[in-house]
Amino acid sequence: MYKIFLCLRYLRSRVIAYFAILAVALCVAMMLIVVSVMNGFLSKVERAAKGLFGDIVIESSSTEGVGLYDEFIAQLGRNSPEVEAASPFILVPCYLRIPGSNWSQIVQAAGIRLPERAAVTDFEKGLFVQAGQTSPTFDPPIAQALQRLEGQIKFIEELRRKPPRPTNPEDRSPDLVQRLDNALLAHLSARVILTRAKEAQPAIAEAYARLQAAYAESHDEPTDKTEAIQARLDELTGQAGWLDPSRHIILGLGIRGLSFRTDEGKTIRFICPGNRVSISLIPLGSGLTAAPSLNSRTFTIVDDCQTDVSSIDSEIVYVPFETLQELNEMHAAYSPDKSGEVVAPARCNQIHIKVRGERTDERRLEAVRANVEKYWRDFCAAHPEAMGGDASVLTWRQRQAAIVGPIEKQRTLTVIMFSIISMVSVVLIFVIFYMIVFQKTKDIGVLKAVGAGDFGVAQIFLAYGAAIGLVGSILGTVGGYYFVRYINPIQDAVDRWFAFRVWDREFFMFEKIPNEVDALPALLIVAGAIIAGLVGALIPALRAARMQPVEALRYE
Amino acid sequence: MSEPLVLVQGLHKSYRLGKVDLHVLRGVSFGLARGSFSAVVGASGSGKSTLLHLIGLLDKPDKGRIVFAGQDVTALPPRRRNGIRCRDVGFVFQFYHLLGELNVLENVLLPAKVDSSAFAWARKRRQARRRALEILDRLGLGERLKHRPRELSGGERQRVAIARALMNRPEVLLADEPTGNLDSAAGSGIMELLKQCNRRDGQTILMVTHDVSLADQTDRIFRLRDGRLSEA
Repeated sequence: MYKIFLCLRYLRSRVIAYFAILAVALCVAMMLIVVSVMNGFLSKVERAAKGLFGDIVIESSSTEGVGLYDEFIAQLGRNSPEVEAASPFILVPCYLRIPGSNWSQIVQAAGIRLPERAAVTDFEKGLFVQAGQTSPTFDPPIAQALQRLEGQIKFIEELRRKPPRPTNPEDRSPDLVQRLDNALLAHLSARVILTRAKEAQPAIAEAYARLQAAYAESHDEPTDKTEAIQARLDELTGQAGWLDPSRHIILGLGIRGLSFRTDEGKTIRFICPGNRVSISLIPLGSGLTAAPSLNSRTFTIVDDCQTDVSSIDSEIVYVPFETLQELNEMHAAYSPDKSGEVVAPARCNQIHIKVRGERTDERRLEAVRANVEKYWRDFCAAHPEAMGGDASVLTWRQRQAAIVGPIEKQRTLTVIMFSIISMVSVVLIFVIFYMIVFQKTKDIGVLKAVGAGDFGVAQIFLAYGAAIGLVGSILGTVGGYYFVRYINPIQDAVDRWFAFRVWDREFFMFEKIPNEVDALPALLIVAGAIIAGLVGALIPALRAARMQPVEALRYE
Repeated sequence: MSEPLVLVQGLHKSYRLGKVDLHVLRGVSFGLARGSFSAVVGASGSGKSTLLHLIGLLDKPDKGRIVFAGQDVTALPPRRRNGIRCRDVGFVFQFYHLLGELNVLENVLLPAKVDSSAFAWARKRRQARRRALEILDRLGLGERLKHRPRELSGGERQRVAIARALMNRPEVLLADEPTGNLDSAAGSGIMELLKQCNRRDGQTILMVTHDVSLADQTDRIFRLRDGRLSEA
């Protein structure tokens, strides 16, 4: 009984113990912040990789890609119950331009099928116009795009009116005002285009219905009537500026020069849904047997996408799969004779596969991957025209090994380094306890004189150390949790006040510092802090236990 | 004659002081009858306190044996020695040795807490508190329960120390120069208190002192000189 009693009393009455508690709290907070940010970084890499590739990816080793993907996906769906969904994917470098301006950039064009892709990845989560929709398309309702646009216009106008903050006179610099003006101009012109498109929609719908009826009349044979209606339809869609869905594009929100970020962390677009861009690419899918020529096409922007992975958002534009297939010359080749026989199937670069279940552990994923690989090899053996004999079948982690591996090593190294630094708290507790034991020598003598045993005396100081570890770790956990939770606003404030930015989104790939605290590492750190308190108190406690009562009572 | 409560036979104890062996006790033998009040007198450094510490099991003799209530306690394992120190021996020190973080009542309750596990304490807490209050009342400290030792006079502190020593109803009270740090008035008060404990409650007391006038007030006086004890 006396052990708990004296431990609590010493804890309350010894001011020096508060310094030990502070040291433990700081170390716990530091460890929690480092581990949370590193773990968050890794899980973001995982989410990003899964967001781009799904759980498993079949990747062609040649630019010509693999064929018969739809047949394989259908067969996989029938034979492999662990596969939830799969979707073909094309990725090809291209030259992105804004018609009528000097702006251009090399990016990657990703050919995807919507809404099929949403079943394989989290693509739909980062969309702007189609935010909150589970089945995104390349042809979102114009009204929806207009609504988003109005919101942005309002926001930019508010920003233009906002006075500079007293803490930062540079807040409304001429450069910023100019950029806001440019953005507003782009939005207003997009609004004109979208409004016109919306107004033209009934006429387009009516022309389309007439075209369908004319084809029905002629039994799908083109006639003068159908051609006249088609010409009118083309004219209307051309005037509307909202081209057919095969010519719609979704941009990554992060392509340099197409948007900027305000001090408040809001993204302002210079180009928005309704505007047009063109892409040009060398058709690598042709195998480059002859001298390559550029294939170009103009697209209407219908949406933009933010994955929160800077390297994806700044480099990728999404176009309809079949359109990119055609542009990259991966479409099916037919016999020149009149038989129309397919001599080479349509191809894609990759097949992305989603495995059933929300969270899939590595072992299960590897087992599914091995099955998929077996199915793929069998499929290629049965269909040589699939041309996928040397394609690799990888899990998202294997596909991203070059990124994930070093990050994991870095995390381990950082945790070790900070654990060593945290030893400071052990040393501090040791020093403080050694001092306390010296100060309490006579008390130890008295305790032994009234019958306390060696182990009992040691327990007082061990419990004291553990209590310091516990209190310190609780304070550190609370402090660390809130620091991690508000790490992005803290960084923004540091950036504003001292022009110093720790988290470079270009370097770290992500827009924001991960700010989630996992329970398990937090518990391990708390346990570690309590053990540190015990270890720090151990030698002084043993010294107290071994103290001879007579010597202790005589101690001056 | 009844068996003595404490029997000391051929006790030897030496200390090493630098390179010199200091032979403090050289075959000390004596007995303490139950309910007696005895004093050991001797010059400073004669080994009086050492003898007290050996009898109170705070130290171990080099040779000889100590019999406590018929039981040889010289070579008992530490746990049993702790138990005897806690329940059967009460110490009063010259410099009081109260715990500064605890108030008067808590200091007095300390031996009872040392003697109890957390569960046992929950059971006997009320009873122990009643006992502590009773002793403190008797020693005139009923109004000073919540005071810290630093807020008390020397005499009061020594009374708290006596109350603590009496808390577990020990068989023997060992007092090491209990008035050595007090003025004569306070010293007399403490001496009266010890006599009262002896006469009223039959408390066996062994007191070491260098003050012969105090020793004269006890039943038996032993003189310790050159490590040997003789009855005066």
